[in-house]
Amino acid sequence: MSRQPSISADKITMDLLPQKFGKAGVIWTSILIVLCLVGLFAYYRQLTQGLVVTAMRDYASWGIYISNFVFFVAISLVGSLITAIFRLANVGWRTPLTRISEIIAVSTILFASIIIIVDMGRPERFTHLFLYSRLQSPIMWDVIVITTYLTLSILFLYFPLLRDLPALIKNSKSGSGLQKLYSFLGSFWKGTAAQFHISEKATTIISVMIIPIALAIHTVTSWLFATTYRPGWDSTNFGAYFVSGAFLVGAGGVLIAMYVFRRAYKLEAYITEKHFDNMGKIVVMLALLYLYFNVNEYLVPAFKMKKAEEHHLLGLFTGDFSILFWTTILLGMILPIVILLFPQGRRPMPAFVMGILVVVGAWFKRFLIVTPTMLSPFLPMYDVPESYMHYWPTWEEWSITIGSLAGALLIITIFARLFPIVPIHETIAETEIRKPEAV
Amino acid sequence: MKRLAYSSMIIALILCTTVLLSAQEKKEKSTLRINLAYHQQNEDLPILRVSAQTKPGKKFEAVEGVAINLFFNEETAQGFMGRATTNNAGVGSLSLPAKFKNNWDSLLNFKFIATVTGNEDFNDEMVEIEIVKARIDLALEEEDSVRVIRAKVLSFEDGSWVGVPETEIKLFVRRLLSDLSAGEEEFYTTDEAGEASSEFSLAIPGDAYGNIIIGAKIEDHDLFGSKAATKIIKWGIPLEPDNSFDRRTLWATRDKTPIWLLIFPNLMIAGVWGTIFYLIYLVIRIIKLGKAEKSV
Repeated sequence: MSRQPSISADKITMDLLPQKFGKAGVIWTSILIVLCLVGLFAYYRQLTQGLVVTAMRDYASWGIYISNFVFFVAISLVGSLITAIFRLANVGWRTPLTRISEIIAVSTILFASIIIIVDMGRPERFTHLFLYSRLQSPIMWDVIVITTYLTLSILFLYFPLLRDLPALIKNSKSGSGLQKLYSFLGSFWKGTAAQFHISEKATTIISVMIIPIALAIHTVTSWLFATTYRPGWDSTNFGAYFVSGAFLVGAGGVLIAMYVFRRAYKLEAYITEKHFDNMGKIVVMLALLYLYFNVNEYLVPAFKMKKAEEHHLLGLFTGDFSILFWTTILLGMILPIVILLFPQGRRPMPAFVMGILVVVGAWFKRFLIVTPTMLSPFLPMYDVPESYMHYWPTWEEWSITIGSLAGALLIITIFARLFPIVPIHETIAETEIRKPEAV
Repeated sequence: MKRLAYSSMIIALILCTTVLLSAQEKKEKSTLRINLAYHQQNEDLPILRVSAQTKPGKKFEAVEGVAINLFFNEETAQGFMGRATTNNAGVGSLSLPAKFKNNWDSLLNFKFIATVTGNEDFNDEMVEIEIVKARIDLALEEEDSVRVIRAKVLSFEDGSWVGVPETEIKLFVRRLLSDLSAGEEEFYTTDEAGEASSEFSLAIPGDAYGNIIIGAKIEDHDLFGSKAATKIIKWGIPLEPDNSFDRRTLWATRDKTPIWLLIFPNLMIAGVWGTIFYLIYLVIRIIKLGKAEKSV
């Protein structure tokens, strides 16, 4: 790695301890809080007036709430990619990225659960999902697997965090609320060999277990679509297609987070250009994989052009959704592949921009998976108001959706304010191991 | 000056009102095309179907909400059957009122009149049809496993019912949405005795007992209007009731979840959550180890 092995443990601790918000941090957090409040107000309107405040009607009964849900589930897979897969594959440079990816996973999967309740016409009946569940329904599978993944992700975040808590307790103001929080979470961590052994064992178990759960969570989400017989969703390819897209958006999200935390917390010595270079290569690989599945999803049906699917496919290729469709493919997949193929493109700034394109493209890609299909029913839309034939979200839907995205970012921001975003103990341990090599 | 302005305003108001009223008076009414058809099934009382159309451009369009007066034999208060109002397809219908039944039974030829009068948008219209009483005798026979439909069209002439030759007749099986041809031909023409027949060889589902409705009908005949005769017969395949709702299926209620779907996912859920509880137990062990270390 390019990090200097001569950095002392104390220096690492001081570098990586959470820092108070600067001016930019306060502004950023305030903006997120305001966006959340606007979203809450919009949701209050939806609660009091019903789903009529949305643009969802008989045909487009799934709108941006569901696209946003799929997006959240997708990006949450990054936790298993960076932390579990890289850990099991013994990828040495993963350390500074593990906690970033885990907190992204926890915050987004939490908001995936919240946004699905928002989509419900009668949210007070949420408990019915459990009380009157039918195991035959893919929706029930999703409820089970999301709950499981959220629990595992929290544990995956917590076990490695335990080792950093003594440093946090030691360096926080005595008797402060923060110190009480840290003490509650980990005052019992003494760093004994037995504790380390248990912690390592737990982390390995989670690393192994979270991979199939992560694959299951997005596969089941894809089955919410693929188990219904509709143009664009009637595919046996959907599980793999969704999972590959999820890994891509997750990797894109990590690129953005790496850049932002590196700049905001001055972590250049820990999140190095080498990390951007490696993550850039991974994004290229994942984007190529996702592009491959996209070719399968669209080119094969387009070759056959079945009458029933014609409206949906032409709507994407040349119709109402064509600009969004081609922009998403070009800017969200092809351009990042081209730019990140070159070493210069994998430098922090271009990699960050490509990360943004991947993530924004991924959000709109989920919109394109949900809405055009809803507006292409097998039986033609007939004798319905004109507004039923189109879907464009209302301001309430936009506000709630943006509010939920802001909420996920707020959790990440607050977490980074309270806890080290780069694991302190692991970084020191790696430095200690590397020291003899330097000598 | 003020008075002059006031007078001018009143004059202008009167002029405007006059112009508006005259414009209303001059509003031209459109021409309406009404159609009257006679339908009778078996020996039921006949139904009169009316339709109203207008031609604002190059093609005819159905007119909704037109009240059409219907008369039996004469356009008088005694002959007034009732009023049928057209629906959004421009169609309305009225069954012959029971009070006319005796009169209708006794007559061999009768007339129906449809009128539109006093409509705000359309000129007065009248149309009439004359009907000759006719009958269809339907016989469903089975000989040596060969099923035959025989239909005979009869009209009353010179004191007796006689066969009507050269009449197009349709032999059909009634299905849910429309009538299906029962024979190989869509239409049959009656012979000199007024009879038409066809073998019935369709294997189609009936009700739980195999009952189906077979019929013969003449449609829009110049003299007889539309007439149909139907009979119920066990020539269909008895329908096996679908009791899958009571079985363990993917579409059943939760208490009828398929066994395999109960076993395998629950095994997986138990395996995964068992491990999660074990992980929580490991946290508790770490806590206990920490406390033990503290006390030492």
